[in-house]
Amino acid sequence: MESFIKDYDKILKRQRNLETDDPLDRLIAVVNEAKEKIRADPSSVKTSLATLDSSLSAVSNGISEEQKELQSALSKYSKTIDKKFTGDMMGAINPHAFDNKEKMLRNTIAMHFIRQGNFEIGDTFAKASRCSEAGLEVSDSMRNQFMEMFDIVAALKENNLEPALEWATRHRSGLEKRSSTLEFKLHRQRYLQLLEAQQLLEAIAYARKNFGSSGSRHTQEILRLMCCSIYMHRIESSPYADLITSNTNSDIQHMFTRDFCSLIGLSCDSPLYVSVTVGTQAMPTMIKMASIIKAKKTEWSQQSELPPVEINLTDDTKFHSIFACPVSKEQASEENPPMMMVCGHVVCKESLQKLCRGSSSYRFKCPYCPSELVASQAKNVYF
Amino acid sequence: MNKINHDQLLSLEHPFIKIPIEKLKSSLRVSQKHIEKEIASLNKTVSDISKKSTKGELDPKEVEVALEEIVKRLSTLKRKLKDTRAEESLYSQKTKVRLQHLQDFTAISTLDSEDFARWSRVRLNRILIDSMLRDGFRETAMLLAKSEHIEDLVDIELFAQSAKVEQALMRQSCIECLQWCKENGSSLKKLKSTLEFSLRVQEFIELARDRRTQEAISYAKKHLTSWQGTHMKEISHVMGLLAFPPETKCHPYKRLYDKSRWNDLIAQFRSNNFALQCFTPEPLLNVTLQAGLSALKTPMCYQPNNRNINCPVCDPETLGALAADLPLSHHFNSSIVCRISGQIMNEDNLPMALPNGYVYSYNALTEMASLNNGKITCPRSGAVFDFSQLKKVFIS
Repeated sequence: MESFIKDYDKILKRQRNLETDDPLDRLIAVVNEAKEKIRADPSSVKTSLATLDSSLSAVSNGISEEQKELQSALSKYSKTIDKKFTGDMMGAINPHAFDNKEKMLRNTIAMHFIRQGNFEIGDTFAKASRCSEAGLEVSDSMRNQFMEMFDIVAALKENNLEPALEWATRHRSGLEKRSSTLEFKLHRQRYLQLLEAQQLLEAIAYARKNFGSSGSRHTQEILRLMCCSIYMHRIESSPYADLITSNTNSDIQHMFTRDFCSLIGLSCDSPLYVSVTVGTQAMPTMIKMASIIKAKKTEWSQQSELPPVEINLTDDTKFHSIFACPVSKEQASEENPPMMMVCGHVVCKESLQKLCRGSSSYRFKCPYCPSELVASQAKNVYF
Repeated sequence: MNKINHDQLLSLEHPFIKIPIEKLKSSLRVSQKHIEKEIASLNKTVSDISKKSTKGELDPKEVEVALEEIVKRLSTLKRKLKDTRAEESLYSQKTKVRLQHLQDFTAISTLDSEDFARWSRVRLNRILIDSMLRDGFRETAMLLAKSEHIEDLVDIELFAQSAKVEQALMRQSCIECLQWCKENGSSLKKLKSTLEFSLRVQEFIELARDRRTQEAISYAKKHLTSWQGTHMKEISHVMGLLAFPPETKCHPYKRLYDKSRWNDLIAQFRSNNFALQCFTPEPLLNVTLQAGLSALKTPMCYQPNNRNINCPVCDPETLGALAADLPLSHHFNSSIVCRISGQIMNEDNLPMALPNGYVYSYNALTEMASLNNGKITCPRSGAVFDFSQLKKVFIS
């Protein structure tokens, strides 16, 4: 990329030159000069016009030279861009995949804006799409919930924990069901805030009042928190420095957003963001595959599976367990479930049947370890 | 795994960088043409003046006036070119900003970094703006571009003209679109576009619909004959309209009279316009969304018991419905996700099977056991087991 920027800067310089030193200005100057000369000395008409003629052709040659150079530099640049950014995106997708699904797509987009806290844009978009055929339905209750969420996050950003604590107390049972530690983390943060403000007595009183309920679950952490109070004046250089690192605030914001969304049954990231980001990562593989298949002239877009190539997902975008049998390389399904053998190794049912030659009492060796096994002892596992 | 392959991801950004460069190119071409024309006429005028002056037809005073005229003409041209010049600097600026945006991206090395997330959010916003502009949601697009400060990364102004043409076609007027064809004649020729022919045919059809036969015939003589080399068959079809009334049930005349032909014209204009300006025929949002949904889609997404609220495809009402007809992704390698913690199970976090066959990650189960005196409650079946009953599972 750096070389691209450098090359472009050269073009940019030339283009800027055209602005500061307009070729038309140069022409005007030459003609004006001749005019002034004639006015000053009418007898020089002949020589002045001759000079004008020659300097005019010199200037105009210069101008067309400059413009040609700029044009050709730009064309060349445009071609190198073509070479660097290649790939036929359209070949890799089905252009009609979303036909007649505009409404769903627009709903997703409107929802995305609301989830980003972009209420104004969400509303404008919803209004605009309502005018067109496909109406939008983002329920008001959903919208209000996210309004509440972003208000609380805004308060958290300013180190004001009160609204978040109030919310967490209100939803204590739901949070406990999800074994969330949000409420404790918020109390912990408040306690540390008091310590940092050198209000020892208030901090201890706060701890006594609020840590009690979560004592059994966070004993170790509470011990550390209480101990850290003896270093109140210099926590940053004490063994407890990790308690007050700078990103605890953003961690709490993230934790709050995640728990809030999970409580109303939504993912913590915008699904549109996740899908598009995954899509941009998957696209290069799909482009490559599509071009190979096109070269071989086989059709795959009608099939229910993508071309047989693994699209790598990052760990945070793996949402479902995938079990591919190490023997047959096939993906497990309800008819062909994963079976765990006594040694702990897992293969698919069909592969197991082949290994034991169809008999449940036939002794065979595990393909992955020295154990001797019989099929009847293998059992279904659920991931 | 989490490393970014910049070259691969940049392949999606071809239109992004190409659009302003092409605009800059064509805008420079316009001003160059004007200047060249002016220079040619200038040379001629000056040599005329000197000829006349040698012959004594012009005295020095008159020469002076003639030169003044030339200066005036040049100044007028300069004013006229002001808009083109402004366009040039707009697009050169845009190209610069976009190159920088891509340069920022190449400086990011991992997919799980905060920088990547920030960059991806900007990318999503510009993809969304592109999709909204194509859908005609201009106001929202402008609002979003402004609030995110990404005006230079999107092409709002390029949609202003095309919107006018489309609206005119919707009003069933070909004039604006024909004008557009004239302006972009040479580029359309390169694309082998038949848009102009289709528009001419439409105007002819409207004359035939109104039964203005005389006018229709002279119109055909004037505008359709130039296409005879390539479109003789179509021309003879439309001429047939003169014999058939608009209510005809007869094929292919019924199809030609059909008002839906106007929508086809809009579609044809759009695809030509996109190709001309280096836009992708489909919005990048649809492309990336489709790829993403396919990559994420598993058979489990549609099984109520196996839903994961964090999975975009698992929402049956929005993205799940969009993904319904998309192909599934292919996997040759296992990746086992813990239902309790959402973490990936591997050698550092072994999968453990409960006696009932349900598998969870070691980390999640130890945490659960430590809070419950060594007892494990299976979240899916509700069965309770002792931690010592767990068995390691090996996934190869």
